[in-house]
Amino acid sequence: MNSLAQRFSTTSPLAHFRKIQRLADEDEDVSDAAWGSQAGFGSLTKGVPTFTVPNLPDPTAFLRLHTDDHADPNCRIKIQHGTTTLAFRFQGGVIVAVDSRATAGSYVASGTVKKVIEINPYLLGTMAGGAADCQYWETYLGIHCRLHELRNRERISVSAASKYLSNLVYGYKGMGLSMGTMICGWDKTGPTIFYVDSDGTRLKGDLFSVGSGSTFAYGVLDQGYRWDLTDEEAQELGRRSIYAAGHRDAFSGNTCNLYHVKEDGWRFIGNFDISKMHYEGPGDVPGAPGGGYGYALRVEGKSSANPPVAEAAA
Amino acid sequence: MFLTRSEYDRGVNTFSPEGRLFQVEYAIEAIKLGSTAIGIRTPEGVVLAVEKRVQSPLLEASSIEKIMEIDGHLGCAMSGLTADARTMIDHARVTAQNHRFTFDEAIKVESATQAVCDLALRFGESVHDEEAMMSRPFGVALLIAGIDEIGPQLYHTDPSGTFTRYDAKAIGSGSEAAQSELQDKWHKQITLKEAQVLTLRVLKQVMEEKLDQHNVQLAQVTPTGFEILDETKLQEVIEAM
Repeated sequence: MNSLAQRFSTTSPLAHFRKIQRLADEDEDVSDAAWGSQAGFGSLTKGVPTFTVPNLPDPTAFLRLHTDDHADPNCRIKIQHGTTTLAFRFQGGVIVAVDSRATAGSYVASGTVKKVIEINPYLLGTMAGGAADCQYWETYLGIHCRLHELRNRERISVSAASKYLSNLVYGYKGMGLSMGTMICGWDKTGPTIFYVDSDGTRLKGDLFSVGSGSTFAYGVLDQGYRWDLTDEEAQELGRRSIYAAGHRDAFSGNTCNLYHVKEDGWRFIGNFDISKMHYEGPGDVPGAPGGGYGYALRVEGKSSANPPVAEAAA
Repeated sequence: MFLTRSEYDRGVNTFSPEGRLFQVEYAIEAIKLGSTAIGIRTPEGVVLAVEKRVQSPLLEASSIEKIMEIDGHLGCAMSGLTADARTMIDHARVTAQNHRFTFDEAIKVESATQAVCDLALRFGESVHDEEAMMSRPFGVALLIAGIDEIGPQLYHTDPSGTFTRYDAKAIGSGSEAAQSELQDKWHKQITLKEAQVLTLRVLKQVMEEKLDQHNVQLAQVTPTGFEILDETKLQEVIEAM
């Protein structure tokens, strides 16, 4: 990892050497990557995947010092962390449900974030961790999925797409990328989910939840999950799980975005207000139980505040 | 050293005293050996048609690919050294995807064509003391068809890196006869159906073999996107001919 950081550092002796080398052949500013079109040029001669690293001997330590708000709550750069995202596989496809709150420390930065990234009509990615990292790299992944499609006259598999992403982020390991994502889709093998994070982890599975609210979501998800869920039941389970996390986790909330991936691609089911779900329920949608999800509503007439009428009379 | 006139065709970077680049001119000649490809622009979309030379009965005709997709709204037909075209088309595809990534919108037909021509002009260049990355001009001409905010467009590119917009254009071995036929038959209000039939009619006239659904390929770019016509749809057009 250190050698990697050194490669990108701008003050190390190696960098100094590179700078001299660069000055020497400055007039030949044609990218090596140009020929063969692998890196992409045209309007962008240098290719897309490059960014500047802090101009310091150890950019990794610098980034950690200024971005890790767990170690230092006063750190200068607050990366958006709080989130609940979930995805699960079942008989009828894949359900993807996320909340829409973005927080920076204890500040609610936005309540209308799109945390599902529509990579292409068959692939969805979720956003947890750094919003920009997820958005940028998953859109970048979209380029390569499309190029795969054009070059091979076949859609990319979810496995291949997620492997591309995990290899990509591994290349930047230790340099401050922060993302925890689920790549979901339907390919030749059927409905598939891969969990990919910025450490380079890549896991295949039936059910994942990522983010600060994941424990709350898992609670609801685990007890309601079955392979043979109907489409309506599955959608309701996804919605209900995000509601639970939005209700109990301070860093998650506002609304729930729900997607269903089937054989013919993904479909956006809807946006559901979490407070509204608490008091009134998700509205007239398939799978909704009718009435709010809130504890107080479900125990109407069975709590100490308003005991059942018959018992009170007795 | 004294160079005789004929020696000016050795290097790709040297003009002849008359101001000609022989290698580029020879590359343009190479296209005239290629199979015929035709493109027609209509108000509804652009039609592309190519002749496939099936040299042997053992050859799998479906494996000859002379019309390719660049992006959802862009297609391309080729004539000449088709291997060179693959490099150019891959470049166009990457440029189109990078454009979507950077600007979140589809690339214009002219911009995509420009990108291809930029590449076509890069022969004889070398990078950082390494050997030249492309030692000769491309030996292929392309017909790039697409739709953007200006509407349906057809572009022709050649090995010199020149690109021109056309209403109807033929390239390849039968191009001279085909082009004059197109000049006769093309009119402003031509429909997509008429254009499909016209491309095949013109191809039929310039092809040596008898035209059937195995030795031609037909594609179109309409507001719904790029599409290579499958065998049944192609058969329908052939019957309508």
